[in-house]
Amino acid sequence: MANGWAPFIGAVVVAAFCAIVWFAAPKGENQTIWRSTLILSAVSMYLMWAITFLAQLHPLISPIRPGLRPESELGH
Amino acid sequence: MAPPKDTMFRSADMSLTQLYISNEIGREVVSALGELGVMDFRDLNSETTAFQRTFTQEIRRLDNVERQLRYFHSQMDKASIPMRSIYDFNNPFTSPSASEIDELADKSQSLENRISSLNESYETLKKREVELTESRWVLREAGGFFDRARGQTEEIRQSVDDDDAPLLQDVEQHGQADTGGDRSFSVMNIGFVAGVIPRERIAAFERILWRTLRGNLYMNQSEIPEPIINPENNEEISKNVFIIFAHGKEIIAKIRKISESLGAALYSVDENSELRRDQVRETNQRLNDLASVLRNTKSTLDAELTAIGRNLAAWMVIIKKEKATYQTLNKFSYDHQRKTLIAEAWAPTNSLGLIKSSLQDVNDRAGLSVPTIVNQIKTTKTPPTYFKTNRFTLGFQTIIDAYGTIKYREVNPALPAIVTFPFMFAVMFGDFGHGVILFLASLAMIYYERKLQRSKLDELFSMIFYGRYIVFMMGVFSMYTGLIYCDAFSLELPIFKSMWVWDNDGRGPTSSRVEGYTYPFGLDWRWHDTDNDLLFSNSYKMKLSILLGWCHMTFSLCWSLVNSRYFHTPIDIWGNFLPGMIFFQSIFGYLSFSIVYKWAVDWAARGQNPPSLLNMLIYMFLQPGTLENPDAPLYKGQATVQVILLLLALICVPILLFLKPFYLRWEHNKARALGYRGIGESTRVSALDDDDDDEEGRTLNGGRESFGDDEDGIAMITQDIGHGEDHEEFEFSEVMIHQVIHTIEFCLNCVSHTASYLRLWALSLAHQRLSIVLWDMTMKNAFGYTGVTGAILMVPVFYLWFVLTVFVLCVMEGTSAMLHSLRLHWVEAMSKHFIGDGVPFEPFSFEVLLEEEPVE
Repeated sequence: MANGWAPFIGAVVVAAFCAIVWFAAPKGENQTIWRSTLILSAVSMYLMWAITFLAQLHPLISPIRPGLRPESELGH
Repeated sequence: MAPPKDTMFRSADMSLTQLYISNEIGREVVSALGELGVMDFRDLNSETTAFQRTFTQEIRRLDNVERQLRYFHSQMDKASIPMRSIYDFNNPFTSPSASEIDELADKSQSLENRISSLNESYETLKKREVELTESRWVLREAGGFFDRARGQTEEIRQSVDDDDAPLLQDVEQHGQADTGGDRSFSVMNIGFVAGVIPRERIAAFERILWRTLRGNLYMNQSEIPEPIINPENNEEISKNVFIIFAHGKEIIAKIRKISESLGAALYSVDENSELRRDQVRETNQRLNDLASVLRNTKSTLDAELTAIGRNLAAWMVIIKKEKATYQTLNKFSYDHQRKTLIAEAWAPTNSLGLIKSSLQDVNDRAGLSVPTIVNQIKTTKTPPTYFKTNRFTLGFQTIIDAYGTIKYREVNPALPAIVTFPFMFAVMFGDFGHGVILFLASLAMIYYERKLQRSKLDELFSMIFYGRYIVFMMGVFSMYTGLIYCDAFSLELPIFKSMWVWDNDGRGPTSSRVEGYTYPFGLDWRWHDTDNDLLFSNSYKMKLSILLGWCHMTFSLCWSLVNSRYFHTPIDIWGNFLPGMIFFQSIFGYLSFSIVYKWAVDWAARGQNPPSLLNMLIYMFLQPGTLENPDAPLYKGQATVQVILLLLALICVPILLFLKPFYLRWEHNKARALGYRGIGESTRVSALDDDDDDEEGRTLNGGRESFGDDEDGIAMITQDIGHGEDHEEFEFSEVMIHQVIHTIEFCLNCVSHTASYLRLWALSLAHQRLSIVLWDMTMKNAFGYTGVTGAILMVPVFYLWFVLTVFVLCVMEGTSAMLHSLRLHWVEAMSKHFIGDGVPFEPFSFEVLLEEEPVE
């Protein structure tokens, strides 16, 4: 499903969103605030997601359940 | 030329304007401008004292009216009559005419007289009433003493009456005394003093009497059950009635003196019970009369005050505005010949049209043929920094302004802070549940905004209310980061299918990955409650902090490029921005790249152990060119790349250090060679360089190109009224020292600031652990019970958990996360680009005035 390309796809989506926001931001004296707030939010949220995604892309350790000994050790 | 629209990105474009106002409409013009609230008037009479100014008389008169209004207010407080709230008026902000102000002043004068006379008579009456009440108590209590004392008269030795009487006469006259019945004390030459004294003094009173009279007295006292009200300050005092019997005129006089000095009130009591009864009756009657008079006076006073209370708030607002108007008029200079007032003010260039049209309105209303002239003056003075804020941006702007006033037209750090501040907060506060609490709280505050704004809030809550939109953004981002961290009140959020499957048919304890699948959004929830979740999340959050910090600092550093481009100082780009950027990127940009690169590589598939990034960085500095493990590099040619980057960083240091100061010196010397001089350095200049005196005169004119290229000579006035903002003289050593400090600071800060972003990791770890502990200690235990016990136990435990969640995790932890986020902005981010030597814009505005001193 999700693979190594996902961050790039996400980047494209965010870029598209930013472009839309840039042009669709309500006109008037608050236009700058709308643009900057929405674009920065999108970018920082994307960064956070992408970093989290990348950290799990090729994880070096896997979860271990607490309080249990491996059954193989007990059984044999 | 229409100026560009003012946005929050840079402070508003300001222009220094000069107003020529006809003397007759000065007050009206200023009051109209106060309603607009966009002009920051400069004080043109700064050398005169407050008393020498033109409108001191008017201000004094208004001060008096204000005092009278305050007096009404205090009287209303005393009578606990409510004032009609300022918000109940339809439009309390209409500016009144001068005659209306006069009327108001007269009215408040006459009202004050009336109120104070009513008050005075009320207080006199009240005092009289207290006296009568006390006297009644004395009569009643003293009567009791007398009755009791009469029973004991026979035991009093008769010898005291007559010193010559034989001792035995006492016994002989015994029977006579019995028949005497109504024997008076005066016969026995025993006098008495009766009165009332505050209860707390009674012990001292007794002691003093005992000592001074050596025990020659008989004192009786009893408590008045109801407290006596002091009419002067409405305080309740409990008092005692006392009656002292003593022997001899001098002693009685002494007792009187002592009791008066101790604040006792003395009342005459007749020892004859008949007369006493009459006295009581009389007192009661007088009390009744007095009560009815008092009632009348009180109701008249209350009616008067209620009538005042209906308008008092509006009057207060009007007088406040009027006073501010005259105070502003005092800043103007007056041209006696042309009978005009001259004012200078900073105003946003975009508001000039508005100013002109409202001045035209005032002129038309007054029917004056002479128009008010508005001139724009060119000046070299630094204009004040002004950001038009709205409800949403106000909080963020305040955060930045708290650090320092932004330089005029500099990039405003508050604009990106709208997002980055709450986002950094949320990285530390990441928990979906806590985010929801913040979000709902802020929504409630925003929904009841109007109501809350009008009510009085305590300090802590009013601070939170002030930042309600910040809390709103914090809540939104906390929910997001909570989803990313996969935490909701420390519990997992299994939204998507996990990328881990427990081995051994789901029993564990080890797990293996679902092939080719990565958890699509946030952390995998399988990590919750595992043995090694900290191992994973610490590594993840530490790297997350470094990466976010790097992004934030690079972003902030870029603003310095924008600033130097805007202010046309290319040397700041070549001497500060570029070397700084290269230095930063070649070390920490490389570190960030390595983190991402290491993540992107499938080390298991390569069958290789990934190198440690920390060691890599240490080796890069300590042994350039060698790797910790030369056989397993991060990528091919790693050693070479690192050497190049390190050299790049090292080269940047001398550039950062020397380029700007030497360029500035070269530029300065070139200007000198061409004959330019700073304004006002004439004498010294000629001493330094061997210029001729006549040449100096010429060069002086050459240096002032920025001044007065206005159409008329009006602009001259601004030059004289400087506040000592001279051109700074160029001094190479100063510039050099400044640059050395900047270089050292920048290079060290690159390291320490990057490390400083690790607080994101530390705080988020602490927050998560704390909420896990709280859950485990309360709710998890309660879930352990089943049946009725469990149900009953659940209620208090839930409340405990919820209260602790709100107060400890949301309020306390939230405050700490907010402070850390604040620091990241003030120190880590703003040090990269903030210039900040601006002058705040303080417009003359009635709205601001009423906000600062609210009428309530």
